[in-house]
This record gives sequence, C-alpha cells and structure tokens, in this order.
Amino acid sequence: MKKPVIFSILILLFPFVLKSQIINKEPLSERITGYEIDARLDPVEKTITGIMEAFWVNKSSDIIPDIQMHLYMNAFRSSKTTFYRELRGFPGYKDSGFGWIDIKSFTGGAGTDLIPLIQYISPDDGNPEDRTVIKVSLPKVARPGDTVFIKVIFETKLPSRIIRTGYNDDFFFVAQWFPKFGVYEPAGMRYAIKGGWNCHQFHAESEFYSDHSVYDVKITVPKEYVVGSGGMLIDELDSDPEGKNKTLTYRAEDIVDFAWTAWPGYAVFTDQWKHVNITLLLPEERIEQVDRQFTAVKNALEYLTKNVGPFPWPHLTFVDPPAKGSGSGGMEYTTLFTSESADKIPDWRHLPEMVTVHEFGHAYFMGILASNEFEEPWMDEGMNSFWEARIMDHYYGENSGRIDHPMLKISDKSTDRMNYVRSEKRQLVSNNEYSWNYPDGAYGIMSYYKASTWLYTLMGIIGEETTNEIFREYYKKWAFKHPCGKDFINVVNEVVTKIHGDKFGPDMNWFFEQTLYGTGICDYKVAEIMNRKSEISQDNIRTGNVPDSSLSNPDSLFTAVARIERIGEVALPVDVLIHFSNGDEVLETWDGKNRFKDFNYHRSRKILWVKIDPEFRIRMDVNYINNSMTLDPDRIIVRRLTNNIITLMQFFISFFTF
Amino acid sequence: MKIIRALKSGALRALKVWKGVLIVWFCYLLLVSLVAIPMKGALKAGFGQSMITEMLRDGINVEVFSDLGAILTNLIAYFSSGLFLLLLFGILMNAFLTGGLFDSLKGISVKFSSAEFFRASARNFWSFLVITLLINIIILFLTVFIIGITAAITMQSYNDSGTTSFLAVIVAAIILLSVIIILILVADYARAWQVAKEKPACFKALGFGSNRTFRTFLSSFPMMLMLISVQVLFAWLVLKILGSWKPLTTGGVFLLFLMSQFLFFIRILLKTWRYGSVTSLKEKNDLLTDAQGSSNI
Ligand SMILES: [Zn+2]
Repeated sequence: MKKPVIFSILILLFPFVLKSQIINKEPLSERITGYEIDARLDPVEKTITGIMEAFWVNKSSDIIPDIQMHLYMNAFRSSKTTFYRELRGFPGYKDSGFGWIDIKSFTGGAGTDLIPLIQYISPDDGNPEDRTVIKVSLPKVARPGDTVFIKVIFETKLPSRIIRTGYNDDFFFVAQWFPKFGVYEPAGMRYAIKGGWNCHQFHAESEFYSDHSVYDVKITVPKEYVVGSGGMLIDELDSDPEGKNKTLTYRAEDIVDFAWTAWPGYAVFTDQWKHVNITLLLPEERIEQVDRQFTAVKNALEYLTKNVGPFPWPHLTFVDPPAKGSGSGGMEYTTLFTSESADKIPDWRHLPEMVTVHEFGHAYFMGILASNEFEEPWMDEGMNSFWEARIMDHYYGENSGRIDHPMLKISDKSTDRMNYVRSEKRQLVSNNEYSWNYPDGAYGIMSYYKASTWLYTLMGIIGEETTNEIFREYYKKWAFKHPCGKDFINVVNEVVTKIHGDKFGPDMNWFFEQTLYGTGICDYKVAEIMNRKSEISQDNIRTGNVPDSSLSNPDSLFTAVARIERIGEVALPVDVLIHFSNGDEVLETWDGKNRFKDFNYHRSRKILWVKIDPEFRIRMDVNYINNSMTLDPDRIIVRRLTNNIITLMQFFISFFTF
Repeated sequence: MKIIRALKSGALRALKVWKGVLIVWFCYLLLVSLVAIPMKGALKAGFGQSMITEMLRDGINVEVFSDLGAILTNLIAYFSSGLFLLLLFGILMNAFLTGGLFDSLKGISVKFSSAEFFRASARNFWSFLVITLLINIIILFLTVFIIGITAAITMQSYNDSGTTSFLAVIVAAIILLSVIIILILVADYARAWQVAKEKPACFKALGFGSNRTFRTFLSSFPMMLMLISVQVLFAWLVLKILGSWKPLTTGGVFLLFLMSQFLFFIRILLKTWRYGSVTSLKEKNDLLTDAQGSSNI
C-alpha cells in the first residue's frame, strides 16, 4: 500500500510555508501554490539543476484525483513540439539548439515516488510530440482543503537561440524553467461548467495562466555573474570555500511566474518611486539611457496607480538585454520584466520607453489581474496595449507617443489603430479566440491592436473618467484573482449604469457583441449635402418646420439635408457636427442603428460642411477620410504636399546624376 | 592657395553661365512635373470633399495617409515607378545638359550663348552618358560591396556588446563617402577634358580623369570635399526649410513654391560651381604640365 501523499497537517513540516510574510504584511492572494527552489546554473553546460519543493491546496469543494503541471522548457525539445509547429515561418526558428527539462525525481509529501504516475498530455491539440504538460495521478485523491506536497529534482537545458528564454554565450535568460502547477478551476469559475485543471500546452503566442504564488528561490552562479530576478534579494553568500560561486536567495510573493537572468556584463542602477525600489540592469553601452528607462517606468507606475490601482510590491527589477540577448526582450514576469533598445537610439524614437511601459503594464494585466492569456489574449495584450498607448501619449505627447521628430510625429494610439485598420485579416475571426486559433498573423492584429482600438472606442463613448472608474472597479473586484471576459463586461455594465443610468441602454452588451465577439467593421460616411430652395408648404408651417422670421423672406429659405451612412456592420452612436452658411453649428447624435440618416433643416441657411465624430472618439472607424464633407474643399494642403514632392524629386534626381 | 583660386574662378564662371543654369533648372522642373502633377490629381481625388486635410496642417499625419487605403498603395506604387523613370530620364537629361554646362565653363572669356550651349550638349551627349553610367555603376557596385561587408561584420559581432557594429558602420560610411567623392572627381575631370578636346572619346576622358585625380590628389580631393560638404549642408538646409515652413494660404503656398524653386536653382548653381572649379583647376594644371612639356594625353 502506498503511503498517502496528502497530509493537511504536514503543512507544518514544510519550513517555507511557515515563513510569515516577508515582503508584504498580509498576503495579497489566496495561498494556493508555493515553491521553494534551489537552483544552480552551469554556464558551460547551459543547464540549471534544481531541487524544488512545492505545494498546491485544493481550495475547491471537489475531490480531485490528479494534479497537472507545466514543463514548458520541453517546448524546445524537438522541432515537432506544438510551440515549434506554431512558430513555423518565424525567422530563425530552425537555428534554435534544443532545450528541455528532465525530471530526475518526483516524490510526494512522504517521499512516495510519483514518476510511474506521470503522464504527458496535450489537452490543446493532442500532439503526442508535445511534452509541455504532465498529469500526475495522486495515490490518494485530494479532498477539499487538502494540500498536495511534491518534491522534484530536475535538470533544465536552455535552448541556444533565445525565444523568450535561453542562452547566448554567457548571457542567460531563464524563464519557464521549473515544473509549475496549472490552475484548478472549480465549476462556476470563469467558464468552467464542471471542475477541472486549466493547464495549456506551451504555445508560440501565449504562456501565462497561473495562480499567484510564494517563491523562495536560491540561485547559485559563478561569482562574476550579475543576476536579476522577480524576487526580492534576501541574502547573498559565497557558496564554496574558494569563493568561485555565490548563492543568492530571493523571495517573491503573489506573482504568477518566477524568471531570472544572469550575465557578467550588466551594469546595475537603482531608483525609487514612492514605496517601490526599482533596479535596472542594462549593458554598459546603454548607460546614457538609464534616465529614459527610469522615467518611463515611473510614468507607468504613476499612471496605472492613479487610474487602475496600486502596485503592491516594494521591489521591481527590469532588464534591457544586450544585443546578444535580444530574444529575451519585451517580456513580462510581473516584478521582473525586460525592455528592448539599441546602443544608439535617438531621443525622438520612444522604443525603449514604449517597451518598458508595455511590459511593466503586464504587472497589472495578467500579473495582478491574472486573466488567461491562452484563452482570452485580448484581456492581456489588448488591455495592456490600450494602457500602454494612453501612458505613452499622455507623457510623451498626444501626437508623439511613439515618434517625436520635428519632421514626423506618430502617437501610440494611432499605431494601434493603423495596424488594425490596415490589416487584411481584420475580419477573419472575432477578437475572442484562443491564442493558437488565430490564422497566421491575425493573433497580433486582434489581441493587441483591435482590442486596444475598441477599448479606445469604448472610452470615446462613455468618457475617460468612466473608463478609469471601470478599471479601478475591475482592480478592486478582481485583483489577485482570475477574471474572464464576462467578468470584465459585468464590471463595465455596473459602472456605466451607475454613472450614466440608462443613457447607453440597460447594459453595454451591445457594444461587446459587436466589437469583441463580432467580426464586423465600423465605418461611417457623409454621403451627401443637399441645399434646395424650398417652397413653404402649409404642411411645413403647420408642423412648425418654418421659423417665423424666415417667413418674411421666403426667397432665402432652404431645405438643407445632410445624409449620413453607415457602411460597416458595427453600429455605434456617433456625434454629427453640421455647419451652416450663417456660421451656426448644430451637434446632432445618431444611434447608427439604421443604414442611413437624413438630418433636415428648413431655414434661411445652407449646410456648408458636415463632420461625423468630430472628436475622433470612434477610433474603430476604419476610414476617417469619409467622415467629413465640405462644399468648399481646402486644396492648400494638397498643393503644399505637391510642392514638397516636386522639390524632393528634383533634389533626388540631381543627387543621383552628379 | 591653389584651391582657393580654383574655387573663386569656379564661382565666377558659374555666375557667368547663369542662363545655362536657368535652362537646367527649367528642364528639371518640367521633367518632375510630368510625374508630380498626376500625383497631385490622385491625392485630390483621394481626399475628395473630405475635411480630413485639416489634420495635415501641421505636417505629415500617418494616420490620415493610412486611411487612404488602396489609394495610398497605388500612390506609393506610382511614386516608386515614377521615381525610377525620373531617374532614368534624369540621367539622360543630365548627360545632355552637363555637356552644355561644362562647355560654357571652359576658358575664361567666352560669352554665354544658348545656341552654343545646346550644340555642345548634343556634341557631348553620348560621351557624357557613358561617363555618367559607368561612374554610377561603379558607385552602385561599391556601395553594395561595402554595405555587404559591414553587414557581415555586424552579424559576426552579434555576440559582442554592440560597439564593434557601431564602429564598423562609421568606418564603412567614411570609406563609402571618400570613394564617392573620388569617383565624382574622376567624372568631373573626365568631362572637363572631354569638352576641351571637342571630340567624343569617353574612355580616354575617363583615363584622363582618373590620372588627373590621383596626380593632383592633394589639391583636388580637399577641394572636392569642400564643395560636396557645402552641397550637403545646403541640402540639409533645404530639408529644414521645407520641413518647418507650412503655409496655410494660397499665397503662402505660392511663395513656398517660388522659394523651393529658387533653392533648387541655387542647388544647380552650386553644382555648376563645382564643375567650374574642377575645370579651372584642370586648366591651371594643364598649363603647368604644358610648361613642363610632359603632357602626352
Ligand atoms: Zn505584451
């Protein structure tokens, strides 16, 4: 008879669980999982050997016969893994030297060997070559409240071409490197109809969905290596008498993943924002960018704290990887993230700032608000891109969040909109697909850009302060939990009706049905402006369509009509600004439900021009050019452009004909 | 001193042939307008009766252009093929017109005559065309070669911190610029020799050009470097002016047009100054070599 694996009482025997809070006074999340890992980097073999003790608590009321865990480094094990298959077509994917994670020993709480009970499963695509998820049958089922303890000895070999994780020469970025629990979802949580593990394979486009955990990690590396991690450094000791290696002890609480980096070439800088100690690691060559980087991360901290919720950790580390580690750039591990830059990058190009703001933002969208990146990437990348754009345009100029050159300015929000609007794949699928179900190239357009653009549109309709209030409420309700799309929509409905009553209807579902769940596009158009001399009919007088004053001069009476059309499938309410010959301006609104709408006026004035959505609030509109019409188009700009084209062409030929 | 004298003489000669410069300017305007005017029409049609152009008042707005959609794609295709055609016709036109310019620049006391300008243009056309094409091909080949080597070095240094790549790019740029300056010098000497001989012999001319370039390198190269620097500086100035001057009235745009064309006229004048200076330096050295009796070209 096998010894029981599960002992609720045994919890007391695991020292790391006993450790009281170190970073924050109170836990921010429910203690469902915890990890204590002793890891050693072998910089020659490019391996990490680790001893891990971990626990998972059955917080549900289900009786659970097994656990499921990620072994994500196995995504690099062969070219037949799901990750590699999905990567097909990516430049350089073939050059990657393989990587893997080998389980040397896997025992239960009382030392029971669980290796015979391990089974590789591929819940997403049934790919037998994919070994990124294991199911471990428990010798004894986990009853509600039970804690499952495991001890795993593993060896992780890093891949040679860094795709998020890996090594190049003496540069190491170590992510997805240890066995990690999936999320057990009882019935009613997110979309679960009955209880079960949510433990997806490693995919080309998504990798995050985990419970918030406590991490105690010891990392042993050669002494010359500079290490950065998502934990708070507790201790640093020589690990051998010759003083060749050092062991760093890190503690992290309430984060969804633990990653680290080691490279002898890092220069280390620190700064402070309110309660947050910020550490930046970057190559010596980029020391002149230190201020830019700190300013960017502090901007993001300030903006998200004010408009979403507090950043609860007192520590934050970010890394600008060197050129040889560029494959690890632009990644997010909550209290550790990587930016992206180059040695010489002009001030007007806000690339390092943008990546820093974006990756930091993931601390909120997916880190604190731990949505499922596999199943609802829009809640992760989309929401985060929306906030990235707001932050960048707020701090670096409404029109110059991305590029701020005297000759060219590009805002961050317009980059998102252009990417969505100009994509041929914008209508292929809805914005609510599993990450790996998007056809080639559509993942980015949908998850980042379409989502960001419709979030901007939502903000355009309900207002900026209401939007911020929604996200504050979303944070209050769902921080350190696992929200899903419908949870977010419920928050939107609640806040919008609380602030605006039924101004937008009983709820905002009509908006999400069209934008998030629909595949239609939004396009409004001014179809026509008509000004006709009008006859004053008895009808007009009776219906009051003729103002008294105009009766005195019937010759100057006009029937003026502005016809607005909805070309796209998406019907959203829009403002229409109408300008008349006498200088009057009327702001009308249209619910957009029909295919067209005529605005009629009978007065002694003609319509001169019409603008739909004059403030550009409906950023989903795929064509702004047809949003306005004037009887007297301004050709000056076209003439100016032509002049510049002529001159540039003249100089161009003259340059090449010496 | 020799350089200063050549530059001064070159400037005087260029000013004297201002009518020739005017002819060149007009031909360029005509040629470019053939491509630019239809583009203007397409832009006008693309924006139609829209008021979106308001958003272009302060300069380029990529979002507005992006919304042109298929029209933009067509415009870009038209622009690139237009540019290619312009370059082709530009080379032909330039081979023709520089014949006249170089001819009017030679000697010191000849009065400018447009009839003589065009006669010389026609006389030197084929020879000048071959010189331009050959030098262009060499420049193209060397550019590709140097960029290729730089790219290889940059790739190799992927494992370094990045300083190597940066240095490689700087060194490559300096080498490329120097090579281009030398090649232009060869072309200018060749053309100056050609008009002096009054019979087409382009390969002989190129032989003279390279010979003279290297024999008088210490005076020719610095002079050319100065002339090219002035031209580059001027081009930068023009870009600055065009980039910052954004008139919003019909009158303002017309003024901008006049200014742009005046600037382009100056640009051709500067080029003519270069031709004149090289011609002058060549003639000075001709006298010297004649005096020494060692000229056998
Ligand atoms: Zn992201």
